[in-house]
Amino acid sequence: MKKVKDFISRDLTSVTENTPLRDVAEILSWRGLSGVPVVNGSNEVIGFISEKDIITSLFPEQVKIENPDMIRMDNLSQLIKKLNTVGEALVQDYMNKNIICASEETPIADIAGIMLRKDIKRLPVLRDKRLVGVVDRSSLTRALIETGSLE
Amino acid sequence: MIVTVTLNPAFDHLLLLSQLSPGRMNRTKSTQRMPGGKGINVASALSVLGEEVIATGLLGGLTCQRFEEELRRRGISTSFVYTDQELRTDFYVIEEGKAQQTMVIEDGTPVDNRYVNNFVSNFERLLTQADIVEIGGSLPSGIDPGFVRELVLKAVKAGKKVVLDLLEPILKECVDIPGLFIVKPDVREKKVLFGKELGSPEVRLGLAREMQKSGAEVVILNYRKLHYLVAAGGEFYEGGIEAEQSGVLIGVQDGMLAGFMHSYLKSGNIEDAFKYALAAALATERSKVNYPTSGQDIERLLPSCKVRKVN
Repeated sequence: MKKVKDFISRDLTSVTENTPLRDVAEILSWRGLSGVPVVNGSNEVIGFISEKDIITSLFPEQVKIENPDMIRMDNLSQLIKKLNTVGEALVQDYMNKNIICASEETPIADIAGIMLRKDIKRLPVLRDKRLVGVVDRSSLTRALIETGSLE
Repeated sequence: MIVTVTLNPAFDHLLLLSQLSPGRMNRTKSTQRMPGGKGINVASALSVLGEEVIATGLLGGLTCQRFEEELRRRGISTSFVYTDQELRTDFYVIEEGKAQQTMVIEDGTPVDNRYVNNFVSNFERLLTQADIVEIGGSLPSGIDPGFVRELVLKAVKAGKKVVLDLLEPILKECVDIPGLFIVKPDVREKKVLFGKELGSPEVRLGLAREMQKSGAEVVILNYRKLHYLVAAGGEFYEGGIEAEQSGVLIGVQDGMLAGFMHSYLKSGNIEDAFKYALAAALATERSKVNYPTSGQDIERLLPSCKVRKVN
């Protein structure tokens, strides 16, 4: 049975509760990521902040009537300019604290199912509460194309 | 867990050709582009040897994604701080059959303080999971060597083993800090340290003793191309390897350090670790990339690596 550790990307990019949203937007834009884990001073994962969270902070009214998934990454870099107008808002006010994480030993089929059902693009992988990587939809898709199965 | 710090990473771009003709058009026979920088090369070698490694540093620009992906493919976890500056490229012109490489090194551009502060914050968090911190290579322009001293002090205070592989101006800021684990001055071609020629056996022994008095557990001095003095616990060993004629020497010094770290951490035996380090250096040279690509290569080369005790 294939496990999360077989598909993990050992990308430890993370931010803290005190990171300004402007910095998060830069990271997401430059790296082309949909979101990053939020960690405390001991590198323990305490939440997740996504492009959706940032856009919600900027255009709360619009997000209610539009599908935030339609807002693409290339728009995000333009939004960085707008972030300056909302000041130095911090991650702690917009992060999602109720997040789903995996361990390296979790069966990948279980995680793939959760990611699809809950519409999760990137999911932190933890060892002793600390971030050891992420699984994302693109790695799962790549694996499916290469091997034809997640089992 | 080993954390390697590379504040000024770069792509290593190899241009292999028969002969370089300055001032004329030169056509390459082949090229290769790979992530590089002293800490990056050490991380790559350690990962091949089965160590769990996190690479950190400052990284930016359009190509940084490819840089990180390649490191992760090598089994290294990445935790870089992103900047708005483009990643550097260092060019190595390898003239086949001449055992000669010509380097053109990009200096890099200044990094905004905001990113430097983010790096410090990320470094402090990584310290909570590190057993060993290795700091290697140069600094982006505008960052003072005293900045590395601050990092070293934080790591030592946190009780971590610190390995330094630094150019003299940076090393000078750190070498008096008590409790360093391994100090390997990055002397490049000139083999001069603190104004003293390392070619003289008495001079290098004296320097190694001084650096140990300052508190370094192990001192590694590169006194000739791929020849070293290793000092630890009152014992001194010397040994070296000869490069192949068409050898690519990128990362060879870093492979040596990684090999030493890996073996010394396992056995605590300076002589065995030194031999293993030389084999790792040789395996790096023969790999034609900037790290040894397998532990088996190192094991195979080990019997040919000799060291001798000196006083």
